Parts: sequence; C-alpha cells; structure tokens
Amino acid sequence: MELLDRYLQAVRKHLPWERQDDIIAELRANLEAQLEDKEAELGRPLTKEEAEEWLKQIGSPIQVAARYQRQQYLIGPALFPTYSYILKLVLTWATVIYLIASVVTIATQGLGVEALAGISLVHVALRLPWIWLVNAGIVTLIFALVERAGARFPEKIYPLAPMPAQWSPLDLPPVGAEDGDWRKPRSFTKSLLEVFFGCLLLAYILLVPHYPFLLFGPGAWYLHSLPYLLAPVWWPFYWCLVAINVLDVAWKLVDLARGAWQKRKNPVRHLAMQVLSLIPVGILLAAPEHKLFLLKNPADAATLGGSLVAANKGAFQVLSIVVALVILQLVWMGVKMGLNAYRKRVAAR
Amino acid sequence: MCHTVYFVQCMGYSMTLTENLFENLRLELRRGCLTLAVLAQLKQEHYGYTLRKALAGRGMEIDESTLYPLLRRLEAQGLLTSEWREEEKRNKRFYRLSSDGEQIFARLLEEWNQINTSIANLL
Repeated sequence: MELLDRYLQAVRKHLPWERQDDIIAELRANLEAQLEDKEAELGRPLTKEEAEEWLKQIGSPIQVAARYQRQQYLIGPALFPTYSYILKLVLTWATVIYLIASVVTIATQGLGVEALAGISLVHVALRLPWIWLVNAGIVTLIFALVERAGARFPEKIYPLAPMPAQWSPLDLPPVGAEDGDWRKPRSFTKSLLEVFFGCLLLAYILLVPHYPFLLFGPGAWYLHSLPYLLAPVWWPFYWCLVAINVLDVAWKLVDLARGAWQKRKNPVRHLAMQVLSLIPVGILLAAPEHKLFLLKNPADAATLGGSLVAANKGAFQVLSIVVALVILQLVWMGVKMGLNAYRKRVAAR
Repeated sequence: MCHTVYFVQCMGYSMTLTENLFENLRLELRRGCLTLAVLAQLKQEHYGYTLRKALAGRGMEIDESTLYPLLRRLEAQGLLTSEWREEEKRNKRFYRLSSDGEQIFARLLEEWNQINTSIANLL
C-alpha cells in the first residue's frame, strides 16, 4: 500500500541511523500483518480514508520513531538535581559579577551627566537576560554532554549528585547554622564583649587622625614624605564613620540596659546599619571631580599629575566595587527577608 | 444566566482536569505492568503483531508504538532473544524469553504477587 510505504519512509528519517533498516523491516512486517487482518475482516482493501485513520491511530512518524531512541531526555533525572543546583549558582554569580563590572565601568567612564549614567544603567539591565541565556546555555550544554557520555559509557562516567552515595548525616550543618546567629539566643558575656570592643574601635577611630601610625604602622612616617595629601572630603567621611560607630555602640548599650541582649539580632536593624555604612563611602564617591588625593605642592602637577589621576581613578574604582558589593548584599538580604515573610504568611493561612 | 453559564463552564473544566488526571494515573499504572505482561506472554514465541493480538485477547491492550520499541529494549537488556524467519512469504522477527529473561520474569512475578497481596491487605 502506497500510504504505508510513505508512512514507513517518514518514520525511517527519524530513527537511529545504525538501526533504520532493521527497525523498518520489523515494523513493515507487523503493520502489513495488521493490515491483512483488517482487510480480511472487511472482506475488501482499506479505502484511502480508512488507511489514513488507521495510520493516524498508530501515531505520527516522529513520535513512533522517538520511542526507538535510546536517550529520551537532554538531562536525566539522576543528573537533574545537580544541574539545577549548579545552574542557580552560575546564574547568581554571573549576575553579581556582571553588575559589579558594569557599575565600575559606568562609574569610571567619567559620566558626570546623570542622564547618560541612567541610559547606561538601562543598557545594563537590558543586557542582563542575554547574560543569563548565555550562561544557562553553557551549563545546559555541559550537562547534556555528561548525560550523553553517561548513557554511552555508564561504567566510566561516575554519576554526579549533590548528595553522593557515601554522604553521612553527621556531615550536615547544625540546625540554624545557615541563618547565622539569627536563631541562637545571645549570652550576656557576648553582648558585653560586643559593647566593649565597640568602644575600643570607637576610641581607635578617634585616635587615628592624631596618631596615624595606629593605622599605617611604621609607614606613617613614610607618608609625610609623599607629595600627596588627602582631599578635604575625607573629613566628612571620617566624622560620618565616627557617628555610625557611636550609634552602633549606643544601640548595643541601650539593649544591655533594657535587658534586651538575649533577643536574637534584629535583621531589620542589621539591614539598617548596612545601609548607614553606605553613607561614608557615598560621601567619598561624591567627592568633587572624584579627587580623593591632592598634591601638596600644586607646582608638581606637571611631573606628578599623571600618577595623581591614576591614584584617584584607582581609588574610585575600588570604592565603586565596594559599594556595588554592599548594595548587592543589601538587595539579597532584603529579598531573603521578603521571601521569609511571604513564606510565613502563606504557612499561616 | 451569566453566573449559570460560568458555573457550568467551571464544572466542565474541572471534570476535564479530573478525567485527564485519572487518565495519566491509569497510564502510569498500566505502564508498570507492561513489561511483566510481555515477558509472561513470551514464554511462547511470538512476533510483534501476534504478541499484540495475544495480549489484547487476554485483556492487555497495548498500542504498536509502545510494544515494538519495548521488545527492542528488552532484547537490548538481554531478557529476550530474537531471530528473523520467513513465514507466509514474509520476513518476521520472532521473540522469546532468554534464560536471563526467565529468571527475571520469575522474580518480577514474585514481586507482583507481593504487591497484589499488600494492596489487598490495604483495601
């Protein structure tokens, strides 16, 4: 029957090439036997419509051929948990690295005009899905190759898994360890030590301007001989730093006085302190013409101008990276807090 | 009237979902039994079409696109042996249980009986 021949030809196209002849010969024998039985029942050959209906019931050529394939999935169930875990890690870190690199690039392009910086940020945001796609594609390709190799050489390819067969419950982290100190109650001694060391740090910060060797060690005497000096912007930065530390110590003292030291650390307070810590760095980043260092003698500009620009640019880049990292951490903390609150609300329903 | 139309449509939609769910679970249940049924029937020699007819005659309907690849898989796993022979002027591939297939079948049958007993106890 011509329709059957066409059907088998279409199935053959999608079969594994090394077994095409064998499978088609078997399939032809079985289908022809089935056709004979049908025609014997009817007492006549099948009409074109009946033959079409019969072949439709068997299935489309692609579907029929697919069942003869050895591997039916790109990444199998044994490997999928590892793939999912690695994919999430890669996408997270790709996003972090891309955002940091973009922020530093925008900041150091000398785009003083806010509109241009805004356009660059939009461009960064629009490129982000492409970054995800490329990274996801690479991870998927690697795991698909491992799956294929594992299917062909199962004894050689060791099955990858996040929990390999030889794992032990004793190796798992203790309860609450993933949340840090949020769940464990704090001891009085620990709280008192936090206040003590907070006061020590504050005293240290207050003494550094008068005794620079506390920060730079013996290099403090070498600093005097350098032709550079700190720009005036460092003073607001310094006093802001002092204010934040005073606030932190005061907050801890109030907790001690109220007897609230036993309560676990408030994540909102932690988040607030992290946000406040951005202010001094922001003051430096907002320095006029991004000048953090100046020349002691303006006449040296001809010889030392280039290295001064390089120093200022380098410092600005470092600060940009620091701010980007802190902001990403804050966003991550905010997202985690939001997700936890949502999870609790859903569980309470 | 709109409320009634909407209600009937929702009922129809949920019934379709229930039917689909039942169909999926039913297929899963049957899929688990197919290998056992095929091995049981191949204690006698069959080729693809006669095997399908024999299984259908005993209440185990399997469509061609499931059965024929299954036979190839079982042969690749060493549970069946096959040979091409001419019958009624047509070359056909005849399958039967291998010695490994007989052992595996006996163990699967035991497992099946245990499952049956457990289910009967649960019910």
